[in-house]
Amino acid sequence: MIRMNEAEEISSKQKQISVSEFFEKNKHFLGFDTLPRAVITAVKESVDNSLDACEEARILPDIRVEIRRTKGDELELITQDNGPGIPRDAIENVFGKFLLGSRFHAIRQTRGQQGIGITGVVMYSQLTTGSKTHVVSKIKSDSSAVYVDLGVDTKKNKAIKSGERRDIWIDDKTGNEISHGLRIRTQMKAKYQRGRKSVYQYLRMTSIVNPHASISLIVYDKEGSVVEEGNWIRTSNKLPRVVEEIKPHPHGIQLGTLQRMLREANDRRMTSFLKHNFSGVSPRAAKEILAMAEVEEGRTPKRIKAEEAKMLVTAFQTVKLLKPPMDCLSPIEDLLIKKGLSKAIDSRFASTVTRNPSVSQGNPFQIEVGLVFGGDLTSDGPIEILRFANRVPLMYQQGGCLLTKALEAVNWKSYGLEQPGGSGIPKGPAAVLIHLASTNVQFTSEAKEAVSYNEEVFDEIRKAMLEVGRGLKNHLKKSSQRKKAKEKFELVNIILPEISKKSSELLGREEPDLAPVITQIMNAVFLEEVLSWDKERRLSMCSITIHNYTARARAYTILAKWPESSETSMEFNPRGGRKEARGLWAWRLDTLDPGTSTVLEFGISGLTKGDWNEADIFFRGNGEIIGATKMDEALLDEQRKAEALEAAVEEVKIKDVTSHINHTKSDGSISDLGDDVPVSSDVTEFVPSANTDWFGMEGDEQ
Amino acid sequence: MSDSTRKSRQQVVDSLHQVAAEMHNRMQRGDPPRMTLPVRSKSNISFDNRLGVFKYGKSKTIRDATKLGSARQLLRTLHITEFIEEMIDSGKSSTLREMYYISEGWGNGKFGSQNESNNLAEDLEIVTKCLREDFKLRPEEDGARIIGNITVEERNRRGEWMTINCRDDVGDSGYGVPYNVEEEKLRLVDEDIDFVMAIETGGMFDRLIENGFDEESRCALIHLKGQPARSTRRIMRRISDEWKKPIVVFTDCDPWSFRIFASIAYGAIKTAHISEYLATKEATYLGITADDILAYDLPSDDLSKQDTNALEAELSDPRFNTGWWQEQIKLMQELGKKAEQQSLAKYGLDFVTDTYLPEKLDGIGLGY
Repeated sequence: MIRMNEAEEISSKQKQISVSEFFEKNKHFLGFDTLPRAVITAVKESVDNSLDACEEARILPDIRVEIRRTKGDELELITQDNGPGIPRDAIENVFGKFLLGSRFHAIRQTRGQQGIGITGVVMYSQLTTGSKTHVVSKIKSDSSAVYVDLGVDTKKNKAIKSGERRDIWIDDKTGNEISHGLRIRTQMKAKYQRGRKSVYQYLRMTSIVNPHASISLIVYDKEGSVVEEGNWIRTSNKLPRVVEEIKPHPHGIQLGTLQRMLREANDRRMTSFLKHNFSGVSPRAAKEILAMAEVEEGRTPKRIKAEEAKMLVTAFQTVKLLKPPMDCLSPIEDLLIKKGLSKAIDSRFASTVTRNPSVSQGNPFQIEVGLVFGGDLTSDGPIEILRFANRVPLMYQQGGCLLTKALEAVNWKSYGLEQPGGSGIPKGPAAVLIHLASTNVQFTSEAKEAVSYNEEVFDEIRKAMLEVGRGLKNHLKKSSQRKKAKEKFELVNIILPEISKKSSELLGREEPDLAPVITQIMNAVFLEEVLSWDKERRLSMCSITIHNYTARARAYTILAKWPESSETSMEFNPRGGRKEARGLWAWRLDTLDPGTSTVLEFGISGLTKGDWNEADIFFRGNGEIIGATKMDEALLDEQRKAEALEAAVEEVKIKDVTSHINHTKSDGSISDLGDDVPVSSDVTEFVPSANTDWFGMEGDEQ
Repeated sequence: MSDSTRKSRQQVVDSLHQVAAEMHNRMQRGDPPRMTLPVRSKSNISFDNRLGVFKYGKSKTIRDATKLGSARQLLRTLHITEFIEEMIDSGKSSTLREMYYISEGWGNGKFGSQNESNNLAEDLEIVTKCLREDFKLRPEEDGARIIGNITVEERNRRGEWMTINCRDDVGDSGYGVPYNVEEEKLRLVDEDIDFVMAIETGGMFDRLIENGFDEESRCALIHLKGQPARSTRRIMRRISDEWKKPIVVFTDCDPWSFRIFASIAYGAIKTAHISEYLATKEATYLGITADDILAYDLPSDDLSKQDTNALEAELSDPRFNTGWWQEQIKLMQELGKKAEQQSLAKYGLDFVTDTYLPEKLDGIGLGY
């Protein structure tokens, strides 16, 4: 996000120099410095706007990008979405005004914070080709779409409209009338390039962190043949949560910002100014701040002098304040990261983590990490790093980015990835996604491509990496155990009987009894689990088989991890057992005699096919089980205690706040409220249909 | 491999059955089946004073059915046993390659690669003390070519003995040595030579023939075709034993050529169980030596990583544990260079026959 004092700086500059001059001077950080980058930036501005608009209007986005090389270094870019469209009277403002002041007052996580905006595209087009940008906009409540050509008056910082008309908008692909959406067609000096820094890669990455979006790309050369094509279909119908706007937290306030806020304040007293314009400031804290800054409570904000403002900023850092609210963040959430990754990368294993929100200098932030391994990924090079800030891909300056540095600081060797030299980017068939969601992403430069150093953020990323790393390590250990077990089964069930048969035939002897031989060869208890999808019952099934290939009888308790949440439940469970902790179920097995086996089966509802790909199985009892991990009782105890605490906190909250909203489930349990996955009642899936009023809030009440 | 050492059909079948019996007996006792084999690596070959060649030592390895790979090997061994018995019964024989393809029908006992089937056949030779000829298995590779004034009698496919002079009755490619060179197939009849020269590369073999070297220096030339086949090594051994003629070996100067010589003179690691039949302890390494690279200022190539590793391994190979070999290997390591036989052409096509070989032969008392 462009910091507020910078915004001021930029707008004051605007007054002094012409906008086009400003653009020319700053095109490196506006993203238009090279021809290949210009087209990426243009696509980015447009697609980010589309995603933001769809999210606000609760529409599942369908976005099309078309690029056509026209001549030499010029191309035509067409982007089209099914978003809410822009009302006729707002078009000039959206496309013509260089920097919309209002954008910088809201503190919340949006994509658009990171760029110059679509105006930059209109301006770039005009500066490099002299042409106008053609816009078609249709809002639901109008009967026809607005067609208009736009240019920018660089002296007045204002759009110039021409050729405006109204017409029915027919989709050139489907032939249907479009009820709402936006289409932009623009010419620009730019060059389409393939590879790691390309429009293709940008859209691929965007689709990963926006599993709710369908995005397509088609690129034509001068002759009209397709040179590149991409199609990423949505894997989830769940729109990201609506993020709340929050007021700034005093910990993150700089002097310039405070002075501007004071100047613009309508409050009559400083106490009410502090209470109403900041988050985390209680009446008591407001008094303390003022006392410490030696500012009288009854002073008028407009009259506060610079010296006093300075004292206030110092007091902000000293007085104990409440944390800012966290609902201004929109994490992608583990399961959706998995789905997003699976949309773009074919892999065998995915481990994802969404950390709890945290605060740095008054700014809430949240870290999410996903790791995929195996499958189509190549194993001979460094892993692919997919960096995102507020769901926007970061494609440049990988090496200088905090997200990369945090990844490099992890000892990946101990998690099963090669890491030459013990540090740096690991090698192997893996890709790591890192998402930083924050109300204030700090970048190293105005180019906004690399996140700058911040200890708290670094620490959170590291912790998240360690979590996915552990997941990978378990997966690798399990794969090797599974392979070993599979080999042993083949050995005793297929090869050994054949050796017995063949040698007996050759010698003309009786076949020996193989049971004692098998016990000697295996000499272990084996566990195999198979996950499957029961289409009829819509259950994710888990079947666990335990074989005792030892000479002694064995007794175990088997524990399985399952994706417990408010949406899932243990639907099929003939063996009973009991819940040990959140997401952990236990079954006591009958004594397993030597040479016998038993099967344990359960099914989970509330998931869709492919959601659950790997189960963790633990055991309690004497002797190892190949294919399961011994339960770490200390760790379990810790988890139980944490859960008990959370439950107690939630109980208090419920009594306090919600008498009208019933958060408890039908079985009366309240434990679901403590889930890592935030499930707020105001998030409703929204699928646009012909008779839905998408502009109003009716959708939320369905 | 005189007839007295060859086994009767029944003896072969009995030895094979002992292998199966070891497995069966163990299973009856409740133990995983297994096979006991000598370790087949350079760490387990030692000089046999009585035979004058390198043989396997006492280290044994156990192949048992506690791992999938080994269990498969055991099953394959039993399939081979059955296959050999069938061939003995029906009076047929097959090539190792044919057996590899036949194993396609053996289900879980089928071979993963040709190499694997060759190795298993060798394993069986070792544990049963039989030869693959006893098993009715033929190698795929053909033997060497010989040119020189020696006369042999070979029993052809019609069972007739034909007399062949390896200088006058053959074309430029020479007499092709059959895969079986035992008495029942090949007799050494007459010779008028002073020594035998074994040559690594075909190019050099043809150069010497074109230059008339065999007649001029009164020798028989044998083309080794790289690492020599069993029959090539066996015929050299017979010529040495029966005619008491010196054998000299002329190869490139690189670590792999040193190994070719070692397999001829001391016995190969892979066939150390039959070294006494195959190795010719009287053979001499003529060149090209590391000294020659310096002495003749030969064009040379840098040693590759594999070359360097091979040299390093040879330093600890008991077969090269003589002062002369250690010196040569260390000199080569120092130079970091290798040279081909044909690099002698630097001084013209006749240099090898006019200068190099006469000088080298003179050095070992075979001057002419």
